[in-house]
Amino acid sequence: MRNSAAKKIFEYCQNHEDGFLISGDAGFGVWEAFQEQLPKQYINTGINEAAMTGLAAGLALSGHKVFIYNIIPFLIMRNYEQVRIDIAYQNLPVVLVGIGSGLTYAPSGMTHYSVEDIALARTLPNMNIISPSDPMQVQKAMEYAIASSNPTFIRISRSGEPVLFDDSIDITKPLHVKEGKTKAIIFHGSIVDEVLEASKALDDVAIISMPLIFPFDEAAVEALLRQYEHVYVVEEHFQEGGLGTMLRDFAQEKSLHVRIEKIAIKNHFIHEIGNCAYLRKCFGIDAKAIVERVLHG
Amino acid sequence: MSLHVKAVNIRKNILKIAHSSKGPHSGTALSCVDILAVLYFKILKIASFSDANRDIFIMSKGHGAMALYATFFEKGYLEEKAFLSYYQNGGALPAHLDKETCEAIEVSSGSLGHGLPQALGFAYAKKLKNLSSHVYVLMGDGETQEGSVWEAAMLAPKMGLDNLTILIDRNNLQGYGRPSDLVSFESLDAKFQSFNWDVHRVNGHDLEALEMALKAPQNKPKAIICDTIKGKGVSFMEDEMKWHYFIVIDAFLEQGVRELEASL
Repeated sequence: MRNSAAKKIFEYCQNHEDGFLISGDAGFGVWEAFQEQLPKQYINTGINEAAMTGLAAGLALSGHKVFIYNIIPFLIMRNYEQVRIDIAYQNLPVVLVGIGSGLTYAPSGMTHYSVEDIALARTLPNMNIISPSDPMQVQKAMEYAIASSNPTFIRISRSGEPVLFDDSIDITKPLHVKEGKTKAIIFHGSIVDEVLEASKALDDVAIISMPLIFPFDEAAVEALLRQYEHVYVVEEHFQEGGLGTMLRDFAQEKSLHVRIEKIAIKNHFIHEIGNCAYLRKCFGIDAKAIVERVLHG
Repeated sequence: MSLHVKAVNIRKNILKIAHSSKGPHSGTALSCVDILAVLYFKILKIASFSDANRDIFIMSKGHGAMALYATFFEKGYLEEKAFLSYYQNGGALPAHLDKETCEAIEVSSGSLGHGLPQALGFAYAKKLKNLSSHVYVLMGDGETQEGSVWEAAMLAPKMGLDNLTILIDRNNLQGYGRPSDLVSFESLDAKFQSFNWDVHRVNGHDLEALEMALKAPQNKPKAIICDTIKGKGVSFMEDEMKWHYFIVIDAFLEQGVRELEASL
Protein backbone atom coordinates (compact mmCIF):
# COMPACT_ATOMS: atom_id res chain seq x y z
CA MET A 1 0.00 0.00 0.00
CA ARG A 2 2.58 2.57 1.07
CA ASN A 3 4.78 1.66 -1.88
CA SER A 4 1.89 2.45 -4.18
CA ALA A 5 1.55 5.88 -2.52
CA ALA A 6 5.30 6.44 -2.64
CA LYS A 7 5.42 5.60 -6.33
CA LYS A 8 2.73 8.16 -7.19
CA ILE A 9 4.38 10.85 -5.08
CA PHE A 10 7.73 10.19 -6.70
CA GLU A 11 6.22 10.27 -10.19
CA TYR A 12 4.45 13.53 -9.48
CA CYS A 13 7.55 15.20 -8.04
CA GLN A 14 9.75 13.90 -10.84
CA ASN A 15 7.45 15.47 -13.43
CA HIS A 16 6.50 18.63 -11.53
CA GLU A 17 9.02 21.01 -10.03
CA ASP A 18 6.37 22.25 -7.62
CA GLY A 19 6.05 18.81 -6.00
CA PHE A 20 7.47 18.57 -2.49
CA LEU A 21 7.60 15.76 0.04
CA ILE A 22 7.81 16.21 3.79
CA SER A 23 8.49 13.28 6.06
CA GLY A 24 7.88 13.71 9.77
CA ASP A 25 10.76 11.35 10.47
CA ALA A 26 8.96 8.35 8.97
CA GLY A 27 9.43 6.17 5.91
CA PHE A 28 12.39 3.89 6.52
CA GLY A 29 12.77 1.79 3.37
CA VAL A 30 10.33 4.00 1.46
CA TRP A 31 12.03 7.30 0.65
CA GLU A 32 15.70 6.43 0.12
CA ALA A 33 15.52 6.56 -3.69
CA PHE A 34 13.42 9.74 -3.54
CA GLN A 35 16.02 11.46 -1.38
CA GLU A 36 18.78 10.43 -3.70
CA GLN A 37 17.09 11.41 -6.94
CA LEU A 38 15.03 14.45 -5.88
CA PRO A 39 16.96 15.90 -2.94
CA LYS A 40 15.66 19.43 -3.48
CA GLN A 41 12.07 18.29 -3.21
CA TYR A 42 12.40 16.44 0.07
CA ILE A 43 12.83 17.26 3.71
CA ASN A 44 12.67 15.20 6.86
CA THR A 45 11.75 17.90 9.37
CA GLY A 46 12.39 15.64 12.35
CA ILE A 47 10.01 15.00 15.21
CA ASN A 48 8.05 18.25 15.26
CA GLU A 49 4.54 17.84 13.93
CA ALA A 50 3.49 21.47 14.36
CA ALA A 51 6.52 22.77 12.47
CA MET A 52 6.14 20.02 9.87
CA THR A 53 2.56 21.09 9.16
CA GLY A 54 3.23 24.82 9.17
CA LEU A 55 6.16 24.29 6.82
CA ALA A 56 3.85 22.41 4.47
CA ALA A 57 1.34 25.26 4.56
CA GLY A 58 4.02 27.88 3.86
CA LEU A 59 5.28 25.91 0.88
CA ALA A 60 1.73 25.39 -0.37
CA LEU A 61 1.01 29.13 0.00
CA SER A 62 4.09 29.67 -2.17
CA GLY A 63 2.66 27.45 -4.91
CA HIS A 64 4.04 24.02 -4.09
CA LYS A 65 2.04 20.79 -4.18
CA VAL A 66 3.03 19.35 -0.84
CA PHE A 67 2.76 15.76 0.37
CA ILE A 68 3.25 15.01 4.07
CA TYR A 69 4.03 11.45 5.05
CA ASN A 70 3.74 10.24 8.62
CA ILE A 71 2.10 7.77 10.95
CA ILE A 72 -1.54 8.88 11.26
CA PRO A 73 -1.54 10.00 14.92
CA PHE A 74 1.42 12.24 14.12
CA LEU A 75 -0.13 13.46 10.89
CA ILE A 76 -3.49 14.79 12.03
CA MET A 77 -3.91 14.18 15.76
CA ARG A 78 -0.85 15.62 17.48
CA ASN A 79 -0.99 18.58 15.08
CA TYR A 80 -4.75 18.76 14.64
CA GLU A 81 -4.83 22.51 15.12
CA GLN A 82 -2.10 23.12 12.55
CA VAL A 83 -4.03 20.98 10.07
CA ARG A 84 -7.21 22.85 10.99
CA ILE A 85 -5.84 26.38 10.71
CA ASP A 86 -2.77 26.28 8.49
CA ILE A 87 -4.00 23.76 5.92
CA ALA A 88 -7.79 23.42 6.05
CA TYR A 89 -8.88 26.96 7.04
CA GLN A 90 -6.55 28.36 4.41
CA ASN A 91 -7.82 25.67 2.01
CA LEU A 92 -4.44 24.51 0.75
CA PRO A 93 -4.24 21.45 -1.51
CA VAL A 94 -1.81 19.61 0.77
CA VAL A 95 -1.93 15.81 0.64
CA LEU A 96 -1.67 14.14 4.05
CA VAL A 97 -0.57 10.56 3.53
CA GLY A 98 -1.06 8.61 6.75
CA ILE A 99 0.23 5.16 7.56
CA GLY A 100 -1.17 2.70 10.07
CA SER A 101 -4.94 3.03 9.65
CA GLY A 102 -7.08 1.29 12.23
CA LEU A 103 -5.25 -1.29 14.28
CA THR A 104 -2.62 -2.11 11.69
CA TYR A 105 0.19 -0.95 14.00
CA ALA A 106 -0.86 -3.47 16.66
CA PRO A 107 0.51 -4.36 19.12
CA SER A 108 2.10 -0.90 19.28
CA GLY A 109 -0.59 0.43 21.60
CA MET A 110 -3.17 3.22 21.61
CA THR A 111 -0.63 5.97 20.86
CA HIS A 112 -0.04 4.42 17.44
CA TYR A 113 -3.58 3.36 16.48
CA SER A 114 -5.84 5.33 14.18
CA VAL A 115 -9.34 4.48 15.19
CA GLU A 116 -10.76 7.99 15.47
CA ASP A 117 -8.99 9.70 12.58
CA ILE A 118 -12.01 9.82 10.28
CA ALA A 119 -14.11 11.41 13.02
CA LEU A 120 -11.40 14.01 13.46
CA ALA A 121 -10.89 14.65 9.74
CA ARG A 122 -14.64 15.07 9.24
CA THR A 123 -14.56 18.14 11.47
CA LEU A 124 -12.58 19.86 8.72
CA PRO A 125 -15.27 20.88 6.23
CA ASN A 126 -13.10 20.89 3.10
CA MET A 127 -10.92 17.86 3.82
CA ASN A 128 -11.19 14.99 1.34
CA ILE A 129 -10.96 11.69 3.22
CA ILE A 130 -9.93 8.52 1.43
CA SER A 131 -9.55 5.10 3.02
CA PRO A 132 -8.26 2.74 0.31
CA SER A 133 -8.21 -1.03 0.61
CA ASP A 134 -5.60 -2.10 -1.91
CA PRO A 135 -2.65 -0.68 -3.85
CA MET A 136 -4.87 0.18 -6.83
CA GLN A 137 -7.22 2.20 -4.64
CA VAL A 138 -4.18 3.93 -3.16
CA GLN A 139 -3.06 4.86 -6.64
CA LYS A 140 -6.51 6.22 -7.47
CA ALA A 141 -6.61 8.04 -4.15
CA MET A 142 -3.31 9.76 -4.95
CA GLU A 143 -4.62 10.78 -8.37
CA TYR A 144 -7.76 12.20 -6.76
CA ALA A 145 -5.68 14.12 -4.20
CA ILE A 146 -3.28 15.48 -6.81
CA ALA A 147 -6.16 16.78 -8.93
CA SER A 148 -8.05 18.29 -5.99
CA SER A 149 -7.73 21.93 -5.01
CA ASN A 150 -8.72 21.01 -1.45
CA PRO A 151 -6.66 19.26 1.22
CA THR A 152 -6.79 15.47 1.24
CA PHE A 153 -6.24 12.93 4.00
CA ILE A 154 -5.40 9.43 2.79
CA ARG A 155 -5.30 6.75 5.47
CA ILE A 156 -3.52 3.58 4.50
CA SER A 157 -2.63 0.45 6.39
CA ARG A 158 0.79 -0.35 7.67
CA SER A 159 1.90 -2.91 5.13
CA GLY A 160 1.28 -4.34 1.66
CA GLU A 161 -2.01 -5.91 0.71
CA PRO A 162 -2.87 -7.90 -2.43
CA VAL A 163 -4.20 -6.04 -5.45
CA LEU A 164 -7.96 -6.55 -5.50
CA PHE A 165 -9.22 -3.92 -7.91
CA ASP A 166 -8.33 -3.18 -11.50
CA ASP A 167 -7.35 0.06 -13.14
CA SER A 168 -10.89 0.80 -14.34
CA ILE A 169 -12.32 1.60 -10.88
CA ASP A 170 -13.78 4.99 -10.05
CA ILE A 171 -13.13 5.51 -6.35
CA THR A 172 -15.60 8.37 -6.14
CA LYS A 173 -18.42 5.82 -6.27
CA PRO A 174 -19.25 2.80 -4.10
CA LEU A 175 -17.71 -0.26 -5.76
CA HIS A 176 -19.58 -3.56 -5.84
CA VAL A 177 -17.19 -6.40 -5.15
CA LYS A 178 -20.14 -8.80 -5.08
CA GLU A 179 -23.86 -8.36 -5.73
CA GLY A 180 -26.48 -9.33 -3.13
CA LYS A 181 -30.20 -9.47 -2.44
CA THR A 182 -31.50 -7.57 0.56
CA LYS A 183 -28.38 -7.22 2.68
CA ALA A 184 -25.14 -5.38 1.92
CA ILE A 185 -21.81 -4.82 3.62
CA ILE A 186 -20.13 -1.47 3.01
CA PHE A 187 -16.49 -1.29 4.05
CA HIS A 188 -13.37 0.80 3.60
CA GLY A 189 -9.69 0.57 4.40
CA SER A 190 -7.66 -2.18 5.93
CA ILE A 191 -10.57 -4.31 7.19
CA VAL A 192 -10.93 -5.56 3.60
CA ASP A 193 -9.32 -8.94 4.36
CA GLU A 194 -11.82 -9.72 7.13
CA VAL A 195 -14.74 -8.63 4.94
CA LEU A 196 -13.64 -10.76 2.00
CA GLU A 197 -13.15 -13.75 4.28
CA ALA A 198 -16.61 -13.19 5.75
CA SER A 199 -18.17 -12.88 2.32
CA LYS A 200 -17.37 -16.53 1.63
CA ALA A 201 -20.03 -17.45 4.18
CA LEU A 202 -22.48 -14.76 3.08
CA ASP A 203 -23.78 -15.86 -0.31
CA ASP A 204 -26.61 -13.40 -0.82
CA VAL A 205 -24.94 -10.42 0.81
CA ALA A 206 -23.58 -7.64 -1.38
CA ILE A 207 -20.00 -6.56 -0.68
CA ILE A 208 -19.32 -2.90 -1.41
CA SER A 209 -16.08 -1.00 -1.12
CA MET A 210 -16.35 2.72 -0.39
CA PRO A 211 -12.87 4.23 -0.37
CA LEU A 212 -13.92 7.85 -0.76
CA ILE A 213 -15.37 8.67 2.65
CA PHE A 214 -15.77 12.35 1.91
CA PRO A 215 -17.07 13.87 -0.26
CA PHE A 216 -18.96 10.79 -1.38
CA ASP A 217 -21.17 10.66 -4.45
CA GLU A 218 -24.55 11.37 -2.86
CA ALA A 219 -26.66 10.13 -5.77
CA ALA A 220 -24.76 6.85 -6.01
CA VAL A 221 -24.89 6.30 -2.24
CA GLU A 222 -28.58 7.15 -2.09
CA ALA A 223 -29.27 4.63 -4.86
CA LEU A 224 -27.30 2.05 -2.92
CA LEU A 225 -29.18 2.69 0.30
CA ARG A 226 -32.47 2.39 -1.58
CA GLN A 227 -31.34 -0.87 -3.18
CA TYR A 228 -30.81 -2.76 0.11
CA GLU A 229 -32.98 -3.19 3.18
CA HIS A 230 -30.18 -3.88 5.58
CA VAL A 231 -26.71 -2.36 5.36
CA TYR A 232 -23.77 -3.26 7.60
CA VAL A 233 -20.96 -0.73 7.67
CA VAL A 234 -17.73 -2.51 8.57
CA GLU A 235 -14.80 -0.33 9.51
CA GLU A 236 -11.60 -0.52 11.51
CA HIS A 237 -12.53 2.68 13.30
CA PHE A 238 -14.57 3.77 16.30
CA GLN A 239 -18.32 3.23 15.99
CA GLU A 240 -19.05 6.88 16.59
CA GLY A 241 -17.77 9.28 13.98
CA GLY A 242 -16.86 6.93 11.15
CA LEU A 243 -18.50 6.07 7.86
CA GLY A 244 -21.34 4.28 9.68
CA THR A 245 -22.26 7.50 11.45
CA MET A 246 -22.06 9.46 8.22
CA LEU A 247 -24.27 7.02 6.33
CA ARG A 248 -26.86 6.93 9.11
CA ASP A 249 -27.01 10.73 9.10
CA PHE A 250 -27.28 10.72 5.33
CA ALA A 251 -30.08 8.12 5.32
CA GLN A 252 -32.01 10.13 7.89
CA GLU A 253 -31.52 13.35 5.95
CA LYS A 254 -32.87 11.65 2.82
CA SER A 255 -35.68 9.91 4.76
CA LEU A 256 -34.49 6.48 3.62
CA HIS A 257 -35.88 3.44 5.38
CA VAL A 258 -32.79 1.30 5.16
CA ARG A 259 -31.55 -0.17 8.43
CA ILE A 260 -27.87 0.65 8.95
CA GLU A 261 -25.80 -1.37 11.42
CA LYS A 262 -22.27 -0.50 12.44
CA ILE A 263 -19.69 -3.24 12.76
CA ALA A 264 -16.88 -1.20 14.21
CA ILE A 265 -14.82 -0.70 17.35
CA LYS A 266 -16.75 0.48 20.37
CA ASN A 267 -15.26 3.85 21.33
CA HIS A 268 -12.74 3.17 24.07
CA PHE A 269 -9.06 3.59 24.82
CA ILE A 270 -7.47 0.33 23.83
CA HIS A 271 -5.59 -1.34 26.67
CA GLU A 272 -6.01 -4.83 25.22
CA ILE A 273 -2.71 -6.25 23.96
CA GLY A 274 -2.22 -8.31 20.84
CA ASN A 275 -1.65 -8.26 17.12
CA CYS A 276 -4.11 -6.87 14.61
CA ALA A 277 -5.96 -10.18 14.08
CA TYR A 278 -6.24 -10.70 17.81
CA LEU A 279 -7.56 -7.20 18.48
CA ARG A 280 -10.08 -7.41 15.63
CA LYS A 281 -11.41 -10.57 17.25
CA CYS A 282 -11.55 -8.85 20.66
CA PHE A 283 -13.51 -5.97 19.20
CA GLY A 284 -15.92 -8.02 17.09
CA ILE A 285 -14.73 -6.88 13.68
CA ASP A 286 -13.04 -10.07 12.48
CA ALA A 287 -14.51 -12.25 9.70
CA LYS A 288 -16.29 -14.58 12.09
CA ALA A 289 -17.95 -11.75 13.98
CA ILE A 290 -18.96 -10.07 10.72
CA VAL A 291 -20.66 -13.29 9.52
CA GLU A 292 -22.42 -13.68 12.85
CA ARG A 293 -23.73 -10.11 12.86
CA VAL A 294 -24.87 -10.17 9.25
CA LEU A 295 -26.62 -13.54 9.55
CA HIS A 296 -28.19 -13.04 12.96
CA GLY A 297 -27.78 -9.38 13.94
CA MET B 1 5.10 62.61 5.76
CA SER B 2 7.58 61.36 8.33
CA LEU B 3 7.41 57.82 9.63
CA HIS B 4 6.63 59.15 13.09
CA VAL B 5 3.56 60.91 11.73
CA LYS B 6 2.47 57.73 10.00
CA ALA B 7 2.90 55.81 13.26
CA VAL B 8 0.76 58.40 15.06
CA ASN B 9 -1.91 58.10 12.35
CA ILE B 10 -1.89 54.34 12.72
CA ARG B 11 -2.30 54.63 16.48
CA LYS B 12 -5.15 57.12 16.12
CA ASN B 13 -6.90 54.82 13.70
CA ILE B 14 -6.47 51.87 16.04
CA LEU B 15 -8.23 53.87 18.74
CA LYS B 16 -10.93 54.81 16.25
CA ILE B 17 -11.84 51.22 15.35
CA ALA B 18 -11.31 50.01 18.92
CA HIS B 19 -13.89 52.62 19.89
CA SER B 20 -16.38 51.82 17.12
CA SER B 21 -16.03 48.07 17.63
CA LYS B 22 -16.14 48.15 21.44
CA GLY B 23 -13.67 45.29 21.11
CA PRO B 24 -10.53 44.28 23.04
CA HIS B 25 -6.78 44.18 22.24
CA SER B 26 -6.07 47.92 22.07
CA GLY B 27 -2.92 47.51 24.17
CA THR B 28 -1.46 44.74 22.04
CA ALA B 29 -2.17 46.67 18.85
CA LEU B 30 -0.52 49.87 20.08
CA SER B 31 2.50 47.88 21.23
CA CYS B 32 3.59 46.84 17.73
CA VAL B 33 2.72 49.93 15.67
CA ASP B 34 6.30 51.17 15.28
CA ILE B 35 7.47 47.75 14.16
CA LEU B 36 4.73 47.59 11.53
CA ALA B 37 5.36 51.15 10.38
CA VAL B 38 9.06 50.46 9.79
CA LEU B 39 8.28 47.19 8.03
CA TYR B 40 5.61 48.51 5.69
CA PHE B 41 7.13 51.92 4.97
CA LYS B 42 10.87 51.17 5.04
CA ILE B 43 11.54 47.49 4.55
CA LEU B 44 9.00 45.37 2.71
CA LYS B 45 9.32 45.25 -1.07
CA ILE B 46 5.95 44.33 -2.48
CA ALA B 47 5.42 45.12 -6.17
CA SER B 48 2.11 43.28 -6.04
CA PHE B 49 0.58 40.51 -4.01
CA SER B 50 0.75 38.18 -6.99
CA ASP B 51 4.49 38.69 -7.40
CA ALA B 52 6.27 35.51 -6.25
CA ASN B 53 9.33 37.61 -5.42
CA ARG B 54 7.52 39.92 -3.00
CA ASP B 55 8.63 40.09 0.61
CA ILE B 56 6.29 38.16 2.88
CA PHE B 57 5.08 39.50 6.22
CA ILE B 58 3.27 37.18 8.62
CA MET B 59 1.39 38.70 11.54
CA SER B 60 1.64 35.72 13.85
CA LYS B 61 0.19 37.63 16.81
CA GLY B 62 -3.21 37.63 15.14
CA HIS B 63 -4.91 39.38 18.05
CA GLY B 64 -2.93 42.48 17.06
CA ALA B 65 -5.10 42.60 13.93
CA MET B 66 -6.19 46.21 14.49
CA ALA B 67 -2.59 47.36 14.18
CA LEU B 68 -2.17 45.54 10.88
CA TYR B 69 -5.48 46.85 9.51
CA ALA B 70 -4.58 50.41 10.50
CA THR B 71 -1.17 49.99 8.86
CA PHE B 72 -2.82 48.62 5.70
CA PHE B 73 -5.19 51.59 5.72
CA GLU B 74 -2.27 54.00 6.03
CA LYS B 75 -0.45 52.15 3.25
CA GLY B 76 -3.51 52.08 0.98
CA TYR B 77 -4.04 48.33 1.06
CA LEU B 78 -7.46 48.78 2.66
CA GLU B 79 -10.30 51.09 1.70
CA GLU B 80 -11.78 53.26 4.43
CA LYS B 81 -15.18 51.59 4.24
CA ALA B 82 -13.68 48.13 4.82
CA PHE B 83 -11.38 49.46 7.54
CA LEU B 84 -14.22 51.09 9.46
CA SER B 85 -16.34 47.94 9.22
CA TYR B 86 -13.88 46.12 11.49
CA TYR B 87 -15.66 43.83 13.97
CA GLN B 88 -19.11 44.93 12.83
CA ASN B 89 -21.91 42.51 11.96
CA GLY B 90 -21.52 41.76 8.28
CA GLY B 91 -18.25 43.71 8.24
CA ALA B 92 -15.17 43.09 6.13
CA LEU B 93 -12.56 42.47 8.84
CA PRO B 94 -12.62 40.05 11.77
CA ALA B 95 -10.91 40.38 15.14
CA HIS B 96 -8.24 37.86 14.14
CA LEU B 97 -6.75 37.62 10.69
CA ASP B 98 -8.51 35.77 7.89
CA LYS B 99 -6.50 35.88 4.69
CA GLU B 100 -9.67 35.72 2.60
CA THR B 101 -10.69 39.18 3.78
CA CYS B 102 -7.79 41.15 2.27
CA GLU B 103 -5.12 40.22 -0.26
CA ALA B 104 -2.42 41.86 1.83
CA ILE B 105 -2.93 39.28 4.58
CA GLU B 106 -0.51 36.49 3.74
CA VAL B 107 -1.53 34.05 6.48
CA SER B 108 -4.64 33.60 8.62
CA SER B 109 -3.77 33.77 12.29
CA GLY B 110 -5.20 34.12 15.75
CA SER B 111 -4.07 30.91 17.37
CA LEU B 112 -0.51 31.57 18.52
CA GLY B 113 2.63 29.81 17.35
CA HIS B 114 1.44 29.25 13.78
CA GLY B 115 3.35 32.02 12.03
CA LEU B 116 6.94 30.88 12.33
CA PRO B 117 6.45 27.31 11.05
CA GLN B 118 4.63 28.68 8.01
CA ALA B 119 7.33 31.29 7.51
CA LEU B 120 9.82 28.45 7.16
CA GLY B 121 7.76 27.15 4.25
CA PHE B 122 7.64 30.57 2.57
CA ALA B 123 11.37 31.12 3.08
CA TYR B 124 12.30 27.66 1.86
CA ALA B 125 10.12 28.10 -1.23
CA LYS B 126 12.09 31.28 -2.02
CA LYS B 127 15.34 29.35 -1.67
CA LEU B 128 14.08 26.63 -4.01
CA LYS B 129 13.18 29.24 -6.63
CA ASN B 130 16.33 31.33 -6.07
CA LEU B 131 14.24 34.37 -5.18
CA SER B 132 15.99 37.19 -3.39
CA SER B 133 13.01 38.32 -1.32
CA HIS B 134 12.66 37.95 2.43
CA VAL B 135 10.17 36.61 4.96
CA TYR B 136 9.29 38.49 8.17
CA VAL B 137 7.23 37.32 11.12
CA LEU B 138 5.91 39.35 14.04
CA MET B 139 5.23 37.38 17.20
CA GLY B 140 4.10 38.30 20.66
CA ASP B 141 6.36 37.59 23.61
CA GLY B 142 3.70 35.45 25.27
CA GLU B 143 3.54 33.57 21.99
CA THR B 144 7.06 32.28 22.55
CA GLN B 145 5.56 29.97 25.17
CA GLU B 146 4.14 27.87 22.34
CA GLY B 147 6.16 24.72 21.63
CA SER B 148 5.71 25.11 17.88
CA VAL B 149 7.87 28.26 18.01
CA TRP B 150 10.80 26.22 19.29
CA GLU B 151 10.19 23.34 16.91
CA ALA B 152 10.54 25.81 14.07
CA ALA B 153 13.37 27.73 15.75
CA MET B 154 15.38 24.50 15.89
CA LEU B 155 14.66 23.68 12.28
CA ALA B 156 15.19 27.05 10.55
CA PRO B 157 19.00 27.38 10.83
CA LYS B 158 19.45 23.81 9.58
CA MET B 159 17.40 24.73 6.51
CA GLY B 160 19.77 27.59 5.74
CA LEU B 161 17.09 30.27 6.01
CA ASP B 162 19.13 33.46 5.95
CA ASN B 163 16.08 35.06 4.30
CA LEU B 164 13.97 34.81 7.45
CA THR B 165 13.58 37.42 10.19
CA ILE B 166 11.33 37.27 13.21
CA LEU B 167 10.45 40.21 15.41
CA ILE B 168 9.27 39.62 18.95
CA ASP B 169 7.05 42.28 20.44
CA ARG B 170 8.48 42.03 23.93
CA ASN B 171 6.14 44.09 26.08
CA ASN B 172 6.22 41.59 28.96
CA LEU B 173 2.44 41.51 29.29
CA GLN B 174 0.13 38.80 28.09
CA GLY B 175 -3.53 37.89 28.55
CA TYR B 176 -3.40 37.22 32.24
CA GLY B 177 0.02 37.99 33.60
CA ARG B 178 3.59 38.94 32.82
CA PRO B 179 5.58 36.34 30.85
CA SER B 180 8.51 36.95 33.21
CA ASP B 181 6.30 35.91 36.14
CA LEU B 182 4.86 32.85 34.42
CA VAL B 183 7.71 31.09 32.66
CA SER B 184 11.47 31.07 32.34
CA PHE B 185 11.31 34.03 30.01
CA GLU B 186 14.79 35.47 30.01
CA SER B 187 16.91 35.53 28.28
CA LEU B 188 15.04 35.28 25.00
CA ASP B 189 18.20 36.55 23.29
CA ALA B 190 20.31 33.71 24.62
CA LYS B 191 17.64 31.16 23.79
CA PHE B 192 17.61 32.12 20.14
CA GLN B 193 21.40 32.43 20.06
CA SER B 194 21.71 28.90 21.39
CA PHE B 195 19.43 27.74 18.55
CA ASN B 196 21.98 29.26 16.14
CA TRP B 197 20.02 32.38 15.24
CA ASP B 198 21.43 35.83 14.64
CA VAL B 199 19.99 37.92 17.48
CA HIS B 200 19.43 41.66 17.86
CA ARG B 201 17.79 43.46 20.75
CA VAL B 202 16.36 46.92 20.18
CA ASN B 203 13.97 49.47 21.57
CA GLY B 204 10.82 48.50 19.68
CA HIS B 205 9.63 52.10 19.56
CA ASP B 206 12.86 53.49 18.11
CA LEU B 207 12.13 53.69 14.40
CA GLU B 208 15.77 54.09 13.37
CA ALA B 209 17.01 51.29 15.60
CA LEU B 210 14.35 48.96 14.21
CA GLU B 211 15.28 49.83 10.66
CA MET B 212 18.98 49.29 11.36
CA ALA B 213 18.38 45.90 12.96
CA LEU B 214 16.16 44.84 10.08
CA LYS B 215 18.74 45.94 7.52
CA ALA B 216 21.74 44.42 9.30
CA PRO B 217 23.31 41.72 7.13
CA GLN B 218 22.56 38.14 8.13
CA ASN B 219 23.83 34.73 7.14
CA LYS B 220 21.35 32.79 9.23
CA PRO B 221 17.81 33.31 10.52
CA LYS B 222 17.51 36.55 12.45
CA ALA B 223 15.54 37.24 15.62
CA ILE B 224 14.96 40.83 16.67
CA ILE B 225 13.77 41.12 20.24
CA CYS B 226 11.91 44.43 20.37
CA ASP B 227 11.48 45.90 23.84
CA THR B 228 8.10 47.54 23.73
CA ILE B 229 5.39 48.95 25.96
CA LYS B 230 1.92 47.53 25.71
CA GLY B 231 -0.49 50.38 24.98
CA LYS B 232 2.39 52.61 23.80
CA GLY B 233 1.44 56.20 23.05
CA VAL B 234 -1.64 56.49 25.26
CA SER B 235 -0.61 57.22 28.85
CA PHE B 236 -3.42 55.43 30.66
CA MET B 237 -3.01 52.29 28.55
CA GLU B 238 0.74 51.93 28.84
CA ASP B 239 1.95 48.75 30.54
CA GLU B 240 -1.53 47.95 31.83
CA MET B 241 -2.78 44.39 31.44
CA LYS B 242 -6.41 45.49 31.53
CA TRP B 243 -5.94 47.09 28.11
CA HIS B 244 -5.80 43.61 26.67
CA TYR B 245 -9.56 43.69 27.34
CA PHE B 246 -10.91 47.15 28.10
CA ILE B 247 -13.19 48.96 25.72
CA VAL B 248 -12.36 52.38 24.32
CA ILE B 249 -15.31 54.53 25.39
CA ASP B 250 -15.85 58.10 24.13
CA ALA B 251 -13.75 59.78 26.82
CA PHE B 252 -10.84 57.37 26.30
CA LEU B 253 -10.90 57.95 22.57
CA GLU B 254 -10.87 61.70 23.04
CA GLN B 255 -8.02 61.69 25.52
CA GLY B 256 -6.02 59.12 23.54
CA VAL B 257 -6.25 61.07 20.31
CA ARG B 258 -5.34 64.30 22.14
CA GLU B 259 -2.21 62.71 23.60
CA LEU B 260 -1.17 61.21 20.28
CA GLU B 261 -1.60 64.52 18.47
CA ALA B 262 0.39 66.26 21.18
CA SER B 263 3.29 63.91 20.46
CA LEU B 264 3.65 65.26 16.93
